[in-house]
Order: sequence, then C-alpha cells, then structure tokens
Amino acid sequence: MLSSTERFYARFVTLLIFIYLVMPILATIVYSFATSWVKTILPEGLTLKWYQQLVTNPDFSAALVRSLGLSLGTTLIAMACFLPVVFYVNVYAPSLKAKLHFITILPFTIPGIILVTGLIQVYANLPIPKSLILVLAIALLSLPLTYQVLNNAFIAHDFRAMFEQALVLGERPIPAFLKVILPNIKSGIFVAMLLTFTSAFGEYVLTNLLLGGNFETLKIYMYRLMQSNGQASSVLTTIYFLFLAFISLILILIMRHANTPSKERSKHS
Amino acid sequence: MANRLKIFLPFGILVVLILIIPVLVMLIASFQTLDGGLTLDNYHQVITNRYYHLAILNSLKISGITAGVSIVIAIVGAHALTKLQTSTKQALITLFNMSASFAGVPLAFSLIILFGNAGVWRAITTALGWPNGLNLYSLTGATFAYTFFEIPLGIMFLFPVFEELNPQWREASAVLGASRGFFLRQVILPVILPNLVEVFILLFANAMGTYETAFALTGNNIVTIPTLIGALINGELTANVPLACTFATIFAGLMTLIVWVGNRVTRSKWEVA
Repeated sequence: MLSSTERFYARFVTLLIFIYLVMPILATIVYSFATSWVKTILPEGLTLKWYQQLVTNPDFSAALVRSLGLSLGTTLIAMACFLPVVFYVNVYAPSLKAKLHFITILPFTIPGIILVTGLIQVYANLPIPKSLILVLAIALLSLPLTYQVLNNAFIAHDFRAMFEQALVLGERPIPAFLKVILPNIKSGIFVAMLLTFTSAFGEYVLTNLLLGGNFETLKIYMYRLMQSNGQASSVLTTIYFLFLAFISLILILIMRHANTPSKERSKHS
Repeated sequence: MANRLKIFLPFGILVVLILIIPVLVMLIASFQTLDGGLTLDNYHQVITNRYYHLAILNSLKISGITAGVSIVIAIVGAHALTKLQTSTKQALITLFNMSASFAGVPLAFSLIILFGNAGVWRAITTALGWPNGLNLYSLTGATFAYTFFEIPLGIMFLFPVFEELNPQWREASAVLGASRGFFLRQVILPVILPNLVEVFILLFANAMGTYETAFALTGNNIVTIPTLIGALINGELTANVPLACTFATIFAGLMTLIVWVGNRVTRSKWEVA
C-alpha cells in the first residue's frame, strides 16, 4: 500500500506538471475575454465583443466548414483503408502484425514536413486535385494512431471463432462483419474515428505547403489572424481549445464506460 | 485470395500513392537540378553553405535539449501518475494527449500571449516592476516551446512502462538487504533502460520534425531543417523543391540511422538483462 506522503507527492508532482502545461492555454482564454491587458496584473475589463466579432465573420465560418469537410473526408478514407486490414491481420494473419506494427514509427522517421517534399515533386504538375492528395496524405499520417486504437479493439475477444460461426450459419462475409464483429468493436472504431478527425482538424503542415495557403482551414486562418489581430486570434485559439477539450471529455467518458464492466468481469473470474 | 486482395487494395493504393512513390521521387529529386538534370550540387550546397549548417545545428540543438529536459520531467511525471487512482490516471492521460495536440499554431500563439513582447507576463512584471527575462523568439524560446508537447508525449509513452513495474520487487530486494540506490541501479534501471532510450529517440525525432510550432513562433528567424524545407517549398527563400528534397532525404537518412542505432542499443541491453 502507498503511504500518505507518497500519495501526496504523486498528486503534487502531477499537479505541478499539469499547471505548467495549461498555463499558456489559461492565459489565452482570459485574454480572449479582456478589453485590454497591457500594463496591469489582471485585465482591465471583461467583454464578449471579440467573440461576437469573430463568430459573425464570414471568413471564420468558411474556414470552419473547410476544416470539418477535410476532417470528415480524412476519417472516412482512413477507416475504409485501415479497418479491413486491421481486422484481417488480427483474425487471420497475426504473423503479419509485426510488419504492420513497424508503420507505427513511420511519422517519426517521415513526418509531414518530409513527406510533403516528395508529394509536391510528384503531384504539383499532375492534373489531380490537390485537395484529394491532401486528404489521402493526412489519412496516411494518421495511420499509426488509428492502427494502435483499432488494434487494441481486437484484443479482447476471439473474433475468428465468432466470424467463422457466422459464415458457417450462412451469412455472407460483409453482413457477417457488420452484424457480428462491428457491434463488439464499435467503441474502438468510434475512438479511432474521433482521433483521426481531431488530427485532421488540426492539420497545418501539409495543408499549408501542399495547397500553398489557398485552402484556408481553421489552422491556416488562425495563423493569419495571429499575424494581424491578437484578440480575434485568442478567441479562435480558445474555441479550438474547447473543441479539443470536448473531444477529450468524450474519450474519457467512453473509457470510463468501457472499463467498468471489464473490471467487474475480472473480479468474478 | 481474391478476398485478401479486396481487403488490402485500398490500403495498398494509399501506401503506394502517398508513401512509396513520393519517398522514391524525393530520393531521386535530391540528385536533380531545378530543370531535371542529374547533379550532386544540392548535396555540395548542403555541405558548404554556412546557413544550411546552421539549420542542421539548430535542429540538433533544439531537439537534443528539449528531448533531454522533457524525458527527465516525463520520468518524474509518469512515475507519479502510476500512484494515482485508476480513473484519475485515465483522465489525466487523455488530458496530456489533449495538451500534446495543442502543439503548433495555437501553442505558439498562447506562448506569445503569455511571454511575448506584449504578453501577459510582461504586463504583470511591468505592473510589479520586475525584470522581464525570457526572449521567446530565440533558440531558447523555441526549446522552451517544444517542452509543452514533448513532456505530455513523454508521459504518454512512459506511463505504460512504469505501470508494468511490479511494486513487490522493491519489497523483495529490501528483504534481501538491498539499499534504495542499489535497487534502482540493479533492478529497475536494466528493465526500463531500453524503454527510456526508445522514448528519448521518439521525442528527439518528434522535435526534429516539428515545423508548425517553430514556424508559427519564430517565422524564419530561427532556421531549422523543417522551417528551411518549408521556405524552400513555398518560395520564401527562392523556391527550390529539389533542394528541399535533399534536406528531406538527409533528414530521413539521419532518422533511420538514429532509430536503427537505438534499436541496436536497446536490443543488446535486453540480451544482457
């Protein structure tokens, strides 16, 4: 058992690191409500006018729509490409797992800024819409994360037996997958989709360099505002932060939900 | 067989179109001139040009220092995290994940709000008459900024490692008369060292590939390999994609080498253990 000093120390250290990490975010949130904050300890007054200015700006809604569309497209493509493979490898070919696992270090040896050089060299002059290349590239770079989450979803059950029983009972492969496998891994798939969506929503490097800033997503807009209008940018950063916080909250709730029954199960066995 | 093909087809097309072809073209283009002729001039430029040396040196410096500082804090943090309640642990891991995703433009902007020339910190210190310190737009500033995503990443990578350590080992070695120092050196260290090396390499590589934060924070003030590649692509220097490919090739080579060396080091450690 842990002594109370040890537990206090653990809480204190975690709290300290946590404060360090959220300090800039907190300052930005307060700043977004401040009328003016130049030579005082606290802002001079609080206001919502920066929010009203940003939200009513057509550039903002256009950027938001672009980002949402981009993220949705990326998520669908990522799932269509990765889910069948992760399923197949887990159920029928576990020996391929080690090879697939190798791709999880991919974004570290070939991050976006490296990949984009080759993509430009290949596709800059071809008559293929750059936005399609962008969606595919973001999907690929999200692979390690998606793979990890999807792979974890397959660990719990013997899916091979379940799937084959369904086939024996006369179900065709795709309906069998949808009816028997999918309900068991749906929270895993949902988490994977959420994470892919978030990473596409926050993508900057590829969007900026591949499309040369012509396709103004939320992040590109944020950078433009940052150069010109501090107040509006702090509002946008706060909104972006709230988006991330909302996604995190959903993830926490899913994990709580997924963990409670499994803990009870292990207590019984 | 036909089913297998159907399953791997979309994935295969994606990998070939977006990964294999571009990486091969990147390798080839690194030996090409702007109009397509073969040349070694790009590599010659990288070797002789002082500005390019500076980019490589800055990248190595920032990445080495941030990875080093972040892994130390992450070790302390991940270790402390294992001692909290299960539900708190999971919530905190998700929150660390969130603060790692906050990297880039929002992080750079937040830091400018907090520590920039017209920032909150300056407002507070001016009001109190304190010295202002920290220049955010410098090499030190960039290093400082990187810790905001490197620390949470490090904690997320290290947490599972510390979670696996068995608290009974400590009791066992204490019963056998081992001191705390001996226990850490002889029992814990051999188990976690390969993981520490691995996580250090991941953090180092991640910092090396960071474009967004560096660019948003310092523009092209502080030149690193990624910001240099960015500038060569969008024409802030003279646009020169083949030269960008050369830097990208050097980067990929360097990273492959580091990951390979890291694997060798950790593997030999495993064999000894």
